[in-house]
Amino acid sequence: MRGSGRFLNNTMKIDWLFLVLVFALTSIGITLVYSATVNTEPIWYTSRWFKQIIYFGGGCLLAAAFAFVRIDYWQRFAFPLYFLTIAALAFVAFGGGDSAKGAGRWIDFGFLKIQPSEFAKITFLLAMSKWLSGHRVNILKPKTFVMPALIFIVPFALVLKQPDLSTALVFTAVTMVGLYWAGLSLLDLFLLVSPVASVILSYPQIPYSQVLWGLLLCVVFLALLFRKMPRKFIILILSLNIICGYASTMAWNSLEHHQRERVMTFVDPMRDPRGAGYQVIQSEVAIGSGGIFGKGFGEGSQTNLAFLPEEHTDFIFSVLGEQFGFFGCVFVLFLYFMFLWRAMSICRLHLDPFVNHVVSGACTIFFFHMMVNVSMTLGLMPVTGLPLPFLSYGGSFMLTCMMLVGLLVNMRYQGSQLESNYD
Amino acid sequence: MYKAQNELQSRNLKSLVFMAAVALVFSCLSVRLLYLQHVRYEENLQSSDENRLRRIVLKAERGLIYDRNGTLLVGNRPSYQIVIKPAEIRKMKPDVKDSLFKRLIHLKDSQGESVFDSAVVDTMFQRSAWKSHGTLRILEDASVEQVSIVEERSFEFPGVTTVVESRRSYPYGTLAAHLLGYTGEISDEQLERPEYAGYSSGDRVGQKGLEQQYDGEFRGEDGVKYVQVDAYGREVGKIEGMQNVPSVPGYGMVTTIDLDIQKAAEEALPDSVRGAVVAIDPRTGEILAMVSSPRLDPNIFSLKRRERNKGWAKVALDSTRPLMNRAVAGVYPPASVFKLVTSGAGLEHKLVTGQTHLPKPCTGGFTFGARYQKCWGTHGNLDLVNALRLSCDVYYYQLGLMLGMERINEFGNRFGLGHKLGVDIPGEKAGWLPDSVSFNARNKRNGWRWARGLILNLSIGQGQLVTPLQEAVLAGSIATGKGVYRPHLMKELRDVDGNVVGRYIPEKIFEGNMSESTHRTLLAGMDSVVNHPGGTGKRAALPGIRVGGKSGSGEWKKGEKTHAWFVSVAPLYDPEIAVAVIQEAQGGGGSKSAPVCRKVMEAYFAKKYPKDSTEVKE
Repeated sequence: MRGSGRFLNNTMKIDWLFLVLVFALTSIGITLVYSATVNTEPIWYTSRWFKQIIYFGGGCLLAAAFAFVRIDYWQRFAFPLYFLTIAALAFVAFGGGDSAKGAGRWIDFGFLKIQPSEFAKITFLLAMSKWLSGHRVNILKPKTFVMPALIFIVPFALVLKQPDLSTALVFTAVTMVGLYWAGLSLLDLFLLVSPVASVILSYPQIPYSQVLWGLLLCVVFLALLFRKMPRKFIILILSLNIICGYASTMAWNSLEHHQRERVMTFVDPMRDPRGAGYQVIQSEVAIGSGGIFGKGFGEGSQTNLAFLPEEHTDFIFSVLGEQFGFFGCVFVLFLYFMFLWRAMSICRLHLDPFVNHVVSGACTIFFFHMMVNVSMTLGLMPVTGLPLPFLSYGGSFMLTCMMLVGLLVNMRYQGSQLESNYD
Repeated sequence: MYKAQNELQSRNLKSLVFMAAVALVFSCLSVRLLYLQHVRYEENLQSSDENRLRRIVLKAERGLIYDRNGTLLVGNRPSYQIVIKPAEIRKMKPDVKDSLFKRLIHLKDSQGESVFDSAVVDTMFQRSAWKSHGTLRILEDASVEQVSIVEERSFEFPGVTTVVESRRSYPYGTLAAHLLGYTGEISDEQLERPEYAGYSSGDRVGQKGLEQQYDGEFRGEDGVKYVQVDAYGREVGKIEGMQNVPSVPGYGMVTTIDLDIQKAAEEALPDSVRGAVVAIDPRTGEILAMVSSPRLDPNIFSLKRRERNKGWAKVALDSTRPLMNRAVAGVYPPASVFKLVTSGAGLEHKLVTGQTHLPKPCTGGFTFGARYQKCWGTHGNLDLVNALRLSCDVYYYQLGLMLGMERINEFGNRFGLGHKLGVDIPGEKAGWLPDSVSFNARNKRNGWRWARGLILNLSIGQGQLVTPLQEAVLAGSIATGKGVYRPHLMKELRDVDGNVVGRYIPEKIFEGNMSESTHRTLLAGMDSVVNHPGGTGKRAALPGIRVGGKSGSGEWKKGEKTHAWFVSVAPLYDPEIAVAVIQEAQGGGGSKSAPVCRKVMEAYFAKKYPKDSTEVKE
């Protein structure tokens, strides 16, 4: 079965619709980058839209390379790659990087600037998948959480130190979904994150925060009973919740006025319409003024006249909304849904837990970016620096996305290799 | 195999849960999209248009003011304002902004003086955080040197630029300053008044004089231009479908002022003397010259704030009140000039004729009851014409007592005394002709009551209040005998191409009626004042031109020199010009003010009969 025959066999397993979706989304992205920057960059070969095409070309090569690497190599090199990335992250976090834009996130090789946190998303995914595919977790056995927690906490802390909260949250999302695939029920996950919910709900600026927190505690308690948890777990989780809630309130009260202002402005940018809120307001205006059908390609005054800062990177969705309206936005969301659906369907083809973890984790990375970015442009979430997959301008992120696409293609057509290992 | 089956089902469930979560989130996002793009579409579209559209007001050029011969009296000059653009300042990083600020406040001109006031720059930098477009001024009315310093090094000053404004300039400085007025920023109090309905804060409007009276005409109509701007406030193009309205320059005005006569009047009345000169054409009411002293220079009001405030403080706090236009707002006792009115009333009521002698001759005074009222000389037994010539008080004490104030004032009212004449500059006073009723009403507070003895003083013009303008009108309209015409300064309004768009039509406001014999007798009296030996106004005489006049020396304070009045009319039997002069506390009218009248007349007739004309006008 080895040789050309297998190759043919496997090409049949390539999901062409999936690749068409990737190509369509990237084309839309390049078009939007073009319309957002054409006014300021008249020379085509130095312009951003052209660079984006180059990045995409590079990304395709990288994706192809990723697709051909045998899955057992990915498994074997998951941890070495992971440690390499940790080293790079540590290098950046402890002052070795280039502090462009204030935060040290880049390693400059002269000819190439690399953002280790982007590649960390992949190596972290591989390492976590490798571990979880071999070890089941059980909420009643806390020892099973030790390794996943370690794998998670190190890059999380290093990225948080940069500071890059949004990427740190990507790790969190991947870990949550990984734990779900590794055997935790939704209820277990809820209990696991309930202390974090306590921290947020007891935030004194939320109206009726004490009532809400009380309700949360009741729900947690009922969930614990329903799950028939041993008493020591009930006490442990409840007390964790209570401690976290009070710690949150105390921390808030100990903050200086300007620190509180900063927190509140982060959560609600509209408090500072000329500073943090400016982008959000302009983004909402851009999207809203597009109406149902949009102003037409190249007709966006918000975009063309630079009222929207960062329009070609984090706020590319606003460019879409202004020029192509509600239908354009929903169409792109539909493409994203199809993309995730095709990717997720790999889980139904192959039983192998590593494949499953990588696929679900990759989908989580994509979905988390889409959700956070679009919510931000619509004024539903704080402004964080997460770009929109395939649409936003940016080399590192484009490469990350294409590597993930390569991995997904790989998982789909090589997944059956590992089938025999299972069962 | 069972395990695998089980596992597969569980995987399917999990991926379904995942996709359900995706669908849920995307649905929420779509609802939000629908809200922004459908429900709030109008508001968002409007905000986006407000972002990109900028309405630029095109300031209309203010109309110019000329004298009657077309010489420019008030022009416009370019005034350079150095400004910062808040949109650009705000986008700077703090350190860039700081270094720009430091460079600006340390900028020195060739004398080593700071170009900018650091407090002003600081305020404007702070304000730039809150202003999204437009400009903020950091140097008002900059000199050419200051502009060139900043412009030469413009690359060092991003976000700093120069804009040109039009400001008023008064090429003759203090000449006719009071009647021309000046412009200044509209005050809050003015903004609340209905006549300033279309104005907005920051507009420069006329203050005082013609600038205020005809502000609506001079102002023109501001235009608007709609442009598309980017987030930095840069114009990036025109807007299709938006109608731009060009500005319409204000109307220019040809005034009735004659620059040569005005100059002569200005020269004749030194700045050290408080007083006023008014020259009118009694046939139409045109004001040929109007001087008020001390003067002020209206140019100070177009200067930069610091110097403007300095100049303003100087004129506002001056005890001689240079801001007041004494020609229309200064009220003085008319003194002996009023004898024309008393005479006229006596003649009209046929109590006297020009040749009537009254019972008591002038022995240097007059006894009324227990009081002895002095005359300024000893004139003996006079008829009316000679009493006017010598300005004998005793004659008029008797005539006044015969007439009573009601009849005297009635005659004065025929020529506009006690009334505002409606001259076309603001601030005019009505003056006051007291009789028993108005005297009691006015002095209710201090308890003075009317007594018949007051007639003595009033009949020689001590106790009334008149303005120099009223005196000129009085003399002129008595001489013409053809009624009182509203004195005015506006002759014609012209649009920017020079087409006449409005003309002042002379308006008779009082009949000024009197019998032919009264008219003749009063003219004879005015003639004798100037042209007959011993007349008090002989210094007003002009060779070859018959001038009539009347002097007055108004007492206003014991121990001080009198206010020197003189009114004159020429040519007396076909009057073209009437002049009134008052000089405060300068002594006798005949000796001090008659020469001023003569100089004004000379200027008028030198123009009319150039090169020492031999033609004699009688």
